[in-house]
Amino acid sequence: MTEQTPNPNPADVPVDPPFTHSASPFIRTEAPAPVAFDSRPNQTPTAPIYSTWVTYRAQIEFGLTMLAYLMVLVGSVTVLQANPEASWRYYVAVLPLIPAGLVIWLFMRSLARLDESQKRIQVQAFGFALGATALLTFGYGFLEGAGMPHLSWTYVLPLIAVLWALGAAVFKWRHR
Amino acid sequence: MKNRLRVLRAELAWSQADLAQRLGVSRQTVNAIETGKYDPSLPLAFSLARTFKRQIEEIFEAEARRA
Repeated sequence: MTEQTPNPNPADVPVDPPFTHSASPFIRTEAPAPVAFDSRPNQTPTAPIYSTWVTYRAQIEFGLTMLAYLMVLVGSVTVLQANPEASWRYYVAVLPLIPAGLVIWLFMRSLARLDESQKRIQVQAFGFALGATALLTFGYGFLEGAGMPHLSWTYVLPLIAVLWALGAAVFKWRHR
Repeated sequence: MKNRLRVLRAELAWSQADLAQRLGVSRQTVNAIETGKYDPSLPLAFSLARTFKRQIEEIFEAEARRA
């Protein structure tokens, strides 16, 4: 004769713990699968002393050169106003071209450092600036013929710069 | 051109900036490629293939030619 155990009371049956480590449900039981690739590239620790110079080097150089240009320009104009009849006035008048040439050199260097899609954006922006400047200057030339006041040629460069900046912003936004 | 860049990058848990740093391009360029707004040059496509250890055809898929 065999003894039969009665059905245990369900309330007395121990409940399986929902986690293998009941003290902390967040402890992982299995290590994550190894990844064939190495992890993120080594992040160089930020050096607060140098980071501003490294990050904004081009902008700082550009700003300083523009400052030099403005200083030479103001100095040149002041000297010319004080000596309107001097024989060397033409040399002084073109003196601001030296820092302006430096600005162009810095600009070309920063263009050469762009990657391929950024260069494409710049080409589109330059194309827009060139076309829009041609259109506006040509249009105003016709208006001058009809009686509008004559404007100095020195307005052309700022116009190109403004249109280039506008084009760069628009094409950069479109590439986002 | 379609590409699987975002999927491949997500598999490795790399951010756009991580991938850009490996490729030597800007993060905006990686984003433009991923969103299909810019098709990379052949050298950059090869760099991508090397980075992900895959064939170029596994990353990029040419659009069907219109008749």
